[in-house]
Amino acid sequence: MKKTLVWLLVSVMSVSFLITSCAKPTVETIKIGLQTPLTGDFAAEGQWTKQCVEVAADLINKKDGVLGKKIEIVIADDASNPKDSALAAQKLISQGLKEVIASYGSSVTAPAADLYDANKVVSVGYGCTAVRLTMDKQRPYFFRASGRDDTQSEFFVKFAVEVLKAKRIAIMHDNQDYGKGVAEDAKRFLQPYIDSGQVKLVYYDAITPHESDYSAVVSQIKQINPDVWFFTAYYPEAALLIKQARQAGVTCTFLGNNSVPTPEFEEIAGVDAIKGSIHLNEPMPQFLKSPEAVEFMDSYKAKYNELPGSIWAVYAADALNALAAAVKKAGSTDPDAVTNAMHTMTDAKGITGPLLFTDRGDRKNIPYYAYIYNEEGKLELYWPKD
Amino acid sequence: MHMLLEQFLNGLTIGSFYALVAMGYSMVYGVMKLVNFAHGDLFTLGSYLGYSILVFGAGWITQVLGIWGGVVVAISGAMISVGIVGLVVEHIAYRPVYKVGRLPVVASALGMSIFISNGIMAIWGPRFQAYPQNAIPSGILSFSDIRITFVKLITLLVSLGLMAFIYWLVEKTFFGTAVRAMALDRDTATLMGIDFNKIILFVFFVGPALGAMAGVFAGLNYGRIIFNLGWTYGLKAFTATILGGIGNIPGAMIGGLLLGVMESLFEGFVSGAWKNVFVFLVLIIILIVRPTGLIGEKVAEKV
Repeated sequence: MKKTLVWLLVSVMSVSFLITSCAKPTVETIKIGLQTPLTGDFAAEGQWTKQCVEVAADLINKKDGVLGKKIEIVIADDASNPKDSALAAQKLISQGLKEVIASYGSSVTAPAADLYDANKVVSVGYGCTAVRLTMDKQRPYFFRASGRDDTQSEFFVKFAVEVLKAKRIAIMHDNQDYGKGVAEDAKRFLQPYIDSGQVKLVYYDAITPHESDYSAVVSQIKQINPDVWFFTAYYPEAALLIKQARQAGVTCTFLGNNSVPTPEFEEIAGVDAIKGSIHLNEPMPQFLKSPEAVEFMDSYKAKYNELPGSIWAVYAADALNALAAAVKKAGSTDPDAVTNAMHTMTDAKGITGPLLFTDRGDRKNIPYYAYIYNEEGKLELYWPKD
Repeated sequence: MHMLLEQFLNGLTIGSFYALVAMGYSMVYGVMKLVNFAHGDLFTLGSYLGYSILVFGAGWITQVLGIWGGVVVAISGAMISVGIVGLVVEHIAYRPVYKVGRLPVVASALGMSIFISNGIMAIWGPRFQAYPQNAIPSGILSFSDIRITFVKLITLLVSLGLMAFIYWLVEKTFFGTAVRAMALDRDTATLMGIDFNKIILFVFFVGPALGAMAGVFAGLNYGRIIFNLGWTYGLKAFTATILGGIGNIPGAMIGGLLLGVMESLFEGFVSGAWKNVFVFLVLIIILIVRPTGLIGEKVAEKV
């Protein structure tokens, strides 16, 4: 009698243990790391990134997740600096993650990308645009969902030559790292057209930043009278230049780069000066209209009552979409299989367009847009209007 | 020819800003033998005070006095306030250490410069401020192909007029003779019965006031101000001072105008990227040939 009771107890316990252990696989998840600056200089970007990635993960999980499993995001803070970036990468690697999204800022991303690569972890950057990240050395497991610094220059040449049909082009930079880089790339992409005689580079020079009076260079532009005047530096100088140019009677098309169209630019230059000026930029969240984008923006808005504060955070969501699509295609989270899938997938769609990657891990056909200030001084999409 | 005239005019405008600020440096140096490093920041302070007067008082001042009335109020308000600040700076930062020697005063001046620019940043914030568009007189004059805004023309005329007035005051009047005597030899001048304190009152009020006027004009012309604006202007104006001969007021005017015109012509006809290289090269050459500046004989006599 006593023996039967013991046996009964044992069997009940083992059955219940079996049941609970059987139930466990149903909550198993696919863990994907997110390395982002939640503190430090880029803390705002980090916050938007976290929110965007979580919204994207929710959307994937609502559609039955990946390989029948839900996605779980594991966050590590890289504090906007290279030193903490390496620590954050170590943290994610030691948790056994095989796929991570990392990170914002090229100098912050580089050390982390090295660590992930050495440990065979697939990493996808979202706010790192330095060309060297993919071109200086081969990191087989590194990708980026954002464009590169020269994406903009390439787009500029296509836009100015093919869309605006410009024949006489002026390029002006500020002799600083970023602006000069964009200008030099633009000149390089323009070279074939210059050689064939289709386009003439009528002005290529720099202004001195932090000055107030640019009338000398404005008078020069006025005399040269180019079809297109491309300015590749920051908004404080751009605002003064365009204001002084319009006052001096310069009427040519002003093209600004992606650091120009800001509220400060609008305020300093004033509506009269900026209307009709065109600015090249990464996609702006409010102008993305594909079904994937609309679905994402609506979910984001429902949760946070506003649109994402920057496009780089949206690229982070697309980094997740790319990883999810690659895991699905590979059928596992094995880093080699996922890397192979990232290179070969052809039909993955993201919020910012198709998710295709080159052999070196750069995003293929990265979308870029030209926006124009209308008569009221508000930005409108100008080209391409897909 | 058109282009040359236009660039000359551009340079004259930039130069008149340099000259207005340079006069402040030169006046103080002439009398005190002190480079007032805080001068560039007093220029910025004037710019911000003018901004605040236009922003907060724009409604009623403009209603009562019209848009030009608003500008006059902003300029005179900034000039008087910054002039008083200049006197206070002299009293609390320079006078107590003046007797110790020349180096402590320089340190004190640098400290004052940091104090003022950081104070401006704390009060008005670290970002660019835009002068209110509706308080700035609009309107552009065209002479065939050359277009010049009303504000720019007024800036140019008022600056040149003021320079002429200061020149007359310093070079042609009895009071000016006293100022120059003080610059030449303080002890002898004091023995002759010239009141040192009165002269100090004059240079530390008029110098910063001129800087403040330039500051408000900069805001009106360019519409964009920032707390460290005085750094760029201060450096260029100080260069102009040396170029003309430090301590010499007409020298400061000529140095400023010359620097502006050189910058403008070089940027317009040769290269913008190499502008500062060229300008400072010219400065070095001038200093090698004439170590005391263009009109600096008096300094040489004194040293």
